[in-house]
Amino acid sequence: MIDTKESLSQLVSDALLGEKYPIAKIISKIETEKNLEFRESLFQELIRQNPDIKEGLTIGFTGTPGAGKSSLLGELCKLFLDFAPDKKMAIVAIDPSSNLSGGSILGDRTRVTLPRRDTRIYFRSQPSQLELGGLNPYTYHVIRFLRRVFDYVFVETVGIGQNEISVSLISDLSFLVMQPLGGDQVQFMKSGIMEVPEAFIINKCDEESLANSSYYMLESTLEFIKDILPNQSLPPIFKTSVTKRKGIEELLLYILQYQKRKDKNSETLTQLTQWIRNEYGRWGISIWEELESSKWNQAIKRNPLGGIHKLKYEEEERKIVSFIQSKIK
Amino acid sequence: MSAEKKEYLLVDENGQGKPDKPWIFRTYAGHTNAKASNELYRKNLSKGQTGLSIAFDLPTQCGYSSDHEVSRPEIGKVGVPINSLEDFRILFDQIPIEEMNTSMTINGTSMWLLSLYVALAEERGVPLEKLNGTTQNDLIKEYLARGTYIYPPKDSMKIIVDMYEYCLHNIPKWNPSNICSYHLQEAGATPVQELSFALATAIAVLDAIKERNCFSDDEFEQCVGRISFFVNAGIRFVEEMCKMRAFTEMWQEITTERYKVKTAKYRVFRYGVQVNSLGLTEEQPENNAWRILIESLGVTLSRNARCRALQLPAWNEALSLPRPWDQQWSLRLQQVLAYETDLLEYPDIFEGSKVIESKVKALKEEAKLEIQKIVDMGGALVAIENGYMKSQLVKSQTERLSKINSNELVIVGKNKWTDGIKSPLMTDSDGGIFKVDPKSAEQTLNVLGEAKSRRNADLAKKSLEDLKQAAKDGKNLMPFSIACAKALVTTGEWADALREVYGEYNPPTGVDGQKLFLSDDKVSTVRGKVEAFTKANGHRPKIVVGKPGLDGHSNGAEMIAVSAKHSGFDVIYSGIRLSPEEIVQSAVEENANVIGLSILSGSHKEIVKQLFDELTHYKAKIPVVIGGIIPESDFDELKKMGIREIFTPKDYDLMSIMEKIIDIVAAEPALV
Repeated sequence: MIDTKESLSQLVSDALLGEKYPIAKIISKIETEKNLEFRESLFQELIRQNPDIKEGLTIGFTGTPGAGKSSLLGELCKLFLDFAPDKKMAIVAIDPSSNLSGGSILGDRTRVTLPRRDTRIYFRSQPSQLELGGLNPYTYHVIRFLRRVFDYVFVETVGIGQNEISVSLISDLSFLVMQPLGGDQVQFMKSGIMEVPEAFIINKCDEESLANSSYYMLESTLEFIKDILPNQSLPPIFKTSVTKRKGIEELLLYILQYQKRKDKNSETLTQLTQWIRNEYGRWGISIWEELESSKWNQAIKRNPLGGIHKLKYEEEERKIVSFIQSKIK
Repeated sequence: MSAEKKEYLLVDENGQGKPDKPWIFRTYAGHTNAKASNELYRKNLSKGQTGLSIAFDLPTQCGYSSDHEVSRPEIGKVGVPINSLEDFRILFDQIPIEEMNTSMTINGTSMWLLSLYVALAEERGVPLEKLNGTTQNDLIKEYLARGTYIYPPKDSMKIIVDMYEYCLHNIPKWNPSNICSYHLQEAGATPVQELSFALATAIAVLDAIKERNCFSDDEFEQCVGRISFFVNAGIRFVEEMCKMRAFTEMWQEITTERYKVKTAKYRVFRYGVQVNSLGLTEEQPENNAWRILIESLGVTLSRNARCRALQLPAWNEALSLPRPWDQQWSLRLQQVLAYETDLLEYPDIFEGSKVIESKVKALKEEAKLEIQKIVDMGGALVAIENGYMKSQLVKSQTERLSKINSNELVIVGKNKWTDGIKSPLMTDSDGGIFKVDPKSAEQTLNVLGEAKSRRNADLAKKSLEDLKQAAKDGKNLMPFSIACAKALVTTGEWADALREVYGEYNPPTGVDGQKLFLSDDKVSTVRGKVEAFTKANGHRPKIVVGKPGLDGHSNGAEMIAVSAKHSGFDVIYSGIRLSPEEIVQSAVEENANVIGLSILSGSHKEIVKQLFDELTHYKAKIPVVIGGIIPESDFDELKKMGIREIFTPKDYDLMSIMEKIIDIVAAEPALV
């Protein structure tokens, strides 16, 4: 048990060194119900031990089942070891949970062969626990933690259509992975999801002409959207094939060179809003709006990179819980 | 003899009574090393065995030399290790290969083993036309059930077609591949699945040959005539016999309609049989002798669908490898059946039977629908890559196990009439089972080391480079492989060269979306315990189901993965052929509450040791349980090493297994 300050501090310092078992234990604790106390002490401890906070880049991989996301990640891992010899990456792969028993089979490791005893790559599965949006209720906090330890944190989600959007809300860079001519393009265009990801991958481009036709189809679809969003430049499109080992280097280099970070304040607010809605519904949101932080919310929306106030997730959560409970009484 | 025609008599062209020739008697054999196996073969041949059926050890099957780190626990365990031509020289010492019908049960490396055989023949001055036998070379069942594949499906198919092309021109009596549905039944296939998957596989092979367009029409016919099948005969022997008749008829139809084969003899469904091992029980193993006899009847009684060759398991195969005496006992059964009974004297005794005819018809109709489904999908290769066939098999297997669990399927001595007197067959000083001498691997390694040091290193290197280049250029690889064989290249070097070009294949596990058909009190008890754990710990229990080593029999691991999910666990299952290091790494990264290992190859002690060493490396205390074919005499040692619970084929009740596992997990101090 992580009961005492000493053992948490030990775990955190081992985790910061990249040791896998301590990292795994911390994640399990984050994935435990009623973990607010733990999260508070964990993030305090992380700041205490590592004040000039490392902020790994979060990369979201989403797309229809069967688009080959896991195999693609597997290939990226292999290349990563050569291309970024002094960097470390983590993968969180979210799989669907079952129906009746609540159990799950987490099979994504199957596609990712990791070098043994290498501390530069860490892989963790997560059951979706039937949450819509492809993210598990704890995913955000797990990522927040992993960002402190790893340079790159990949998140692979399940879901189809609108639900996939949520991963892009907590990623600095998110990819929509598609199969050539899957008919996905039209569907996604309709559902508006094309506006969300920062980049696109047409995977399984094993055959040149099919790959190219899909590429041009997607490009013209995106140009159409660009007219709607005039201030955005056209997002990049990658053509990849795991079997032919094509396009993966380019994709990796793009990720390694990616500079733009999303504002963590707005990320925190997004998660808090989602959490309050889950726990207390619209009523909860209306209560929250009475709180001071919702003013920050407005301010951040006006000036996304303003960084007016560094929001602390746990503090906010605690505040809103006590405020709402006072209302209930 | 009177001139009057007797319907019940088998006669020759002159009207003389003439019984059928018996099928070929084989024993699937090989162990320890080339020398020991050579002695065994010579003994078996002298006892009246009429063909050789070579079992290779797992490293040889998976394309690793014995000196590779993953080979160490497996050398000589389930078959003979073959590293280079030198081992073949020893293996066939004093055996006239020109007179043998040699069956090699080898798939991923079949081209390599055939190349060694050719090199040996040429060295002995035996004309290649005289070589007679079969390389199994059925990759599809490997992807689905047996697990000793190496390369991706399309590349493996290319290798198979290369062998057809080479053999037809050079070794005309050789069967380059043998469509094997045996393991499909072992993995739970129903008769319809066995029929349809095997025939769809044959169609995939023939279509690939057609596509290469390397034969004239006449040659293509001969090539169709070379396809042979290897099937399983289960305990429901009437249904199994009907399955064989359906096979024969359907093959006639496919070769006539789809491939337009005109010559009747090339349309014959030629098949060998190994009777079912899946149904053999560890409990009251002596009952297996009767099962084996009954299963043999299904493929011998019916003249219109009688097997060409038969190999029988031994009564104690559910316990471990059989001893030479056990194999001899199985051979004697075949001899009694063929020579003492009147079985071979009659024409087909079921012709005209309404029951048999309508059953065959029903099987054919269902199988045709299934074949059409696979063909519509794009053929057997596609149905493998998209996981369709695998998930169908896992589904049948879970249904079968659910039925055993609910006693709907009776298995004598296992779920009914379980009390009995212990068998005197097992009271011998060796406990009734065979164990490979762990020191015997040294001999194999010595031969390998010597072969490597004696060979012309430049020539070996060059022949490997040539092989790689040929693979890149898409050339037929047979001549290049034979050149490698002659240059004393090793099994691992040959396979690695092609791994470099083709990559290694990682197939779908088939367990996604599977569910058990169990909902009794036991299930609710286990789920209750899982829920209690979840409540107490704030998260679900997590199990890593690990299938270490080269043993690809994944049914057990799959059933445990599905049962664990059924009970409410979060399950990590990543398929076969993992190293203990990989299993521990995933258990550590996932912070699993328990590791469950499945090992059937007899290498449990070595692998468990490696696994605990690795847990120590991570300072991880994760409880480990193990399931597989594990003799009771090893229990103490395994428990001393730290194994918490051992499950054997006796433990067929999935929920009892899960209950024991959740009890172990719940008793652990909280992990975080």
